[in-house]
Amino acid sequence: MPQDLKLKAAQKRGIHQLGGDELVGWDEVTQGVILTSFEGDASDIAHKKAEERNYSDFNSYTATVAPWRVIKPVFNRDICIDCQNCWVWCPDSSIISRDKQMLGIDYDHCKGCEVCSQVCPTNPKSLLMFSEYEELDVALSQWPEKKKKEKK
Amino acid sequence: MPKEKFELNEREVWDGNYAASQAMRQAQVDVMAAYPITPSTPIVENYGSYVANGYVDGEFVMVESEHAAMSACVGASAAGGRVATATSSQGFALMVEVLYQASGMRLPIVLNVVNRALASPLNVRGDHSDMYLGRDSGWIQLDAYNAQEAYDLALCAFRIGENHSVRLPVMVHQDGFVTSHTAQNVYPLSDEEAYNFVGDFKPVDDMLDFSRPVTYGAQTEEDWHFEHKAKQHKALMDSRKVIDEVFAEFKKLSGREYKRVESYMMEDAEVAIVALGTTVETARVAAMELREKEGIKAGVVSPRVFRPFPFDLIRDALENVKAVGVMDRSSPGGAMGALFNEVSAALYTTPNRPLVSNYIYGLGGRDCSVEDLKEVFRDQKANADAGHITTPIQQFSGLRGPKLGFFETKRS
Amino acid sequence: MTEIRWHSRAGQGAVTGAKSLGDIVATTGKEVQAFALYGSAKRGAALRAYNRIDDKPIINHAKFMRPDYVLVIDPALAYTDDITLNDKESTKYIVTTHLSKEELIAGIPALQGKEDRVYVVDCVQISLDEIGRSIPNAPMLGAFVKISGMFELDYFLENMKRVLKKFPQKIIDGNMRAITRAYNEVK
Repeated sequence: MPQDLKLKAAQKRGIHQLGGDELVGWDEVTQGVILTSFEGDASDIAHKKAEERNYSDFNSYTATVAPWRVIKPVFNRDICIDCQNCWVWCPDSSIISRDKQMLGIDYDHCKGCEVCSQVCPTNPKSLLMFSEYEELDVALSQWPEKKKKEKK
Repeated sequence: MPKEKFELNEREVWDGNYAASQAMRQAQVDVMAAYPITPSTPIVENYGSYVANGYVDGEFVMVESEHAAMSACVGASAAGGRVATATSSQGFALMVEVLYQASGMRLPIVLNVVNRALASPLNVRGDHSDMYLGRDSGWIQLDAYNAQEAYDLALCAFRIGENHSVRLPVMVHQDGFVTSHTAQNVYPLSDEEAYNFVGDFKPVDDMLDFSRPVTYGAQTEEDWHFEHKAKQHKALMDSRKVIDEVFAEFKKLSGREYKRVESYMMEDAEVAIVALGTTVETARVAAMELREKEGIKAGVVSPRVFRPFPFDLIRDALENVKAVGVMDRSSPGGAMGALFNEVSAALYTTPNRPLVSNYIYGLGGRDCSVEDLKEVFRDQKANADAGHITTPIQQFSGLRGPKLGFFETKRS
Repeated sequence: MTEIRWHSRAGQGAVTGAKSLGDIVATTGKEVQAFALYGSAKRGAALRAYNRIDDKPIINHAKFMRPDYVLVIDPALAYTDDITLNDKESTKYIVTTHLSKEELIAGIPALQGKEDRVYVVDCVQISLDEIGRSIPNAPMLGAFVKISGMFELDYFLENMKRVLKKFPQKIIDGNMRAITRAYNEVK
């Protein structure tokens, strides 16, 4: 299963740093500060998956906040029970889930806030935070064992 | 009196917000009703912490909007307390209705306005849109160019507004972020010096004087309204004398001199910039460098007091120059810039009638560099040499895109 | 006039760092200015902070500057932000990185040819080790003290204690260790 899903929008245009765009002059900015979310007709957008949508350059989907992270969540497919808790709680829609199956993390939009890991109910957790520099396979090889319940 | 003594150094490194909040503490403001908004938030936040920690014997009133904030200030001031608050931009816009009530009721409230652009587009950074929005509200408007001045003028504001021959509310303006969030050396007065300078609050017609009940906010129609507004305008015009006196006393106390119109290198100036806020000081750097490196006799004139507008002093400061660039940091909304119009009107009453052109600049916090201001001076030099305005009369400085300008001088 | 530009993310403490530096410089009798150009004002967003230092009052309020020092306290910004913007022939760079100076410069074309003016120090790791959180501002100040030669380390540490006096002793001690380590480790 792919950990690092490449987004269609990113592939198409090259995902860009937030705020790093070329600046146009007063004669080229939109009237009324209107920003369009999609390119072309968007009437069937609700039936398309995020990676299939024609997001415009104005849409934050085409911008990345990846460099904001100091730590990153790593997903362990072997333990996950597809409960969707992380998907519900992620404040940046960065948990990629299809047909109620957890696929991985959208590392272009994840800011490393750790909420997903906090709400993960499995033992051990299926989402754990690692240094941004840690390789995914190395992180997975360091996964902790199941914790035994403490007897009272 | 406050329970706790605040420790101050002779030299502090403060930003404009912190400096203003210290002035609020030293003046021992009785009531601050506020709805915090960027970039003025730290002023009310700090006052709140001074109250909570016993450094001020006052009340911090949390309200549900800026309209309510100024309304509560009006109530507290009418009740007989020393009252101040702070706001910016959208918050200022929401206050506008009550600003007119405050000045009409002659309530000496002090409002720290940390200048910020007005939406839309939404923008938190500094320009003078909110300051201009207040220009007909009947308040005295003092303009600080840096953090030290935001502190000094806030102290002066209480003395001026609360003077019984003035009894008007006072705004102290500072530039959002460029002053409010820029830390610099600030030399505060001691608490005793500051409080003695401001003095005890002496109420007039206070509602808590039960021996003499009064009504505030009466209705007047065409039979009375005009006379009341005329009296209010006269008081605002006459406040000029009190402002001068307060500035003179402040100089005696602190060594720092303020004038209703500040002039820099104007003795022999051939060209000048007129501006407000931090741009004044940056323009001084530009003038100095142009004199040294390009031999352009440049000077800077700036209203310290935006209201009452120093019509005569502006005229005196500028009547002998050849060309003047007037800088407006507010979207003019289909007209020439307000400062340009007022400076031009003053200069129209001189025999020389210098050439006056208008620059719209710095909207939404767009940087205004020394080089930008040198360009304005160079334009003025070209105008002076040609004997007429060589550019559109209104131009945009620091704008991306094709050159934008309006109106030409009518010649022959 | 000495001018300094900080490249940072909101939450890493560049604004506090710039203000602390200003505070300490002012104790030496100089005039200072410390300000920031905020990005989207959210934790993690890129921002730039600035210092000006001079013997006379500083009246230039423009954000535009040609910095004498560029302090980069976020490792990724060295690559994604324009850290050499408006630089001079003499501009010195201090960059937070876990890489060696050679590795860093190899990945940033704008720094190539400026090798003798680039210094590296791992402020993130130092702050994690000594303070327990990734707030690389304090160690960067230590590195700046070393490279600029503006202060004696002991003088700076004494004054930094005063700036931090409202914090718990543990935090103050951590900052002192972080500053000292960065002072010694910057190269």
